[in-house]
Amino acid sequence: MNSVISAKGLTKRYGKQVAVDNVSFEIPAGRIIGLIGPNGSGKTTALKAILGLAPFEGELKVLGFDPSTQRDELMQQVCFIADVAILPRWLKVKDAVDFVAGVHPKFDRAKAERYLAHTKLKPGMKVKEMSKGMIVQLHLALVMAIDAKLLVLDEPTLGLDIMFRKQFYQNLLEDYFDEDKTIIVTTHQVEEIEHILSDLMFIQDGKIILSASMDEVGERFAEVMVNADKADAARALNPIDERQVFGKSVMLFDGVPRAQLATLGETRNVGIADLFVAKMKGTYA
Amino acid sequence: MSIAWNDNSPIYRQLKERVVGMMLDGALKPGDALPSVRQIAAEYQLNPITVSRAYQELVDDALVEKRRGLGMYVTDGAPEKLLASERERFLSDEWPAMVERIRQLGLNIDQLLSAASNGGGK
Repeated sequence: MNSVISAKGLTKRYGKQVAVDNVSFEIPAGRIIGLIGPNGSGKTTALKAILGLAPFEGELKVLGFDPSTQRDELMQQVCFIADVAILPRWLKVKDAVDFVAGVHPKFDRAKAERYLAHTKLKPGMKVKEMSKGMIVQLHLALVMAIDAKLLVLDEPTLGLDIMFRKQFYQNLLEDYFDEDKTIIVTTHQVEEIEHILSDLMFIQDGKIILSASMDEVGERFAEVMVNADKADAARALNPIDERQVFGKSVMLFDGVPRAQLATLGETRNVGIADLFVAKMKGTYA
Repeated sequence: MSIAWNDNSPIYRQLKERVVGMMLDGALKPGDALPSVRQIAAEYQLNPITVSRAYQELVDDALVEKRRGLGMYVTDGAPEKLLASERERFLSDEWPAMVERIRQLGLNIDQLLSAASNGGGK
């Protein structure tokens, strides 16, 4: 079993509401997976199940462990940053470092301190004196210094300015990620992480509606600027989305060979933001 | 710093072309070291696999060589190789498009030559 995460028929209900609906997927090591979905689509619920923070139905293995019964073993290998600030307001930077050093056997204190030295955080600073960006930096310092195999990031850059956001991913790529590690990230700022990802998962109403490597996404989906005289021929190929620009139709196709599309007009790769919008059409209707 | 990638070709290829461009204008010379995959990935916010793939193509084209434990270096023969392949590419890809544009604009050869000799070309 080489999968970092393996889910079969994963389901989570809150009362009658189904938050995650019979979902199955496999995530191999060395990947950076973007879990993208509208608010309330089940992203955080799925991540909670993976982290053993919520009971679930179905089969789920994370690094070979069952998150519901082997949470302690699992937590040695997994780190996460949640979208809500969970650090107590009175906590000082140095106390946070001491705490993690005390509870986590894989924590590398020197690495955390080295990282903190590059920020404006001072050892005696309390969480309540920090900006949002600084709190995320503290989180990141703690998390990156743990040699975990799986890192789960739930909206890690929410509310951060663009400098902090860029710095965040830069640090992850430079000091944390390698081919033995796996990162799952959820974010609404999809354009910013588009090129960092190796895999993409779209989730809608608790179901995974697209799961593909970025290579596959590039091969499967293409946008074509269709000339008016070819519009009917193009529509016959079942575009998943169509919009009008300068009197031409821009159509998005799934799984139609490029060579065939090229006869209809100019083709281009589609960004995941556009793909997301096309796939999620009707979500709020 | 960030690069505006275009939508027409895969990122790894665009990255490769960027390195090739730096070789062509002499910013990267034979024997120069390329930045590590990790550095490039972090700097341009790319998946490391994308960067590795671009580097691998440069190795396959013998423009760059791997030195064990040290990293990637521009090969001695890189400039000549590049010049030959870029000339070919210009003639097969860029030139036909340019000819088409010239035709579209109705420019004649005298106009083109005089524009080129007025500093339009080097």
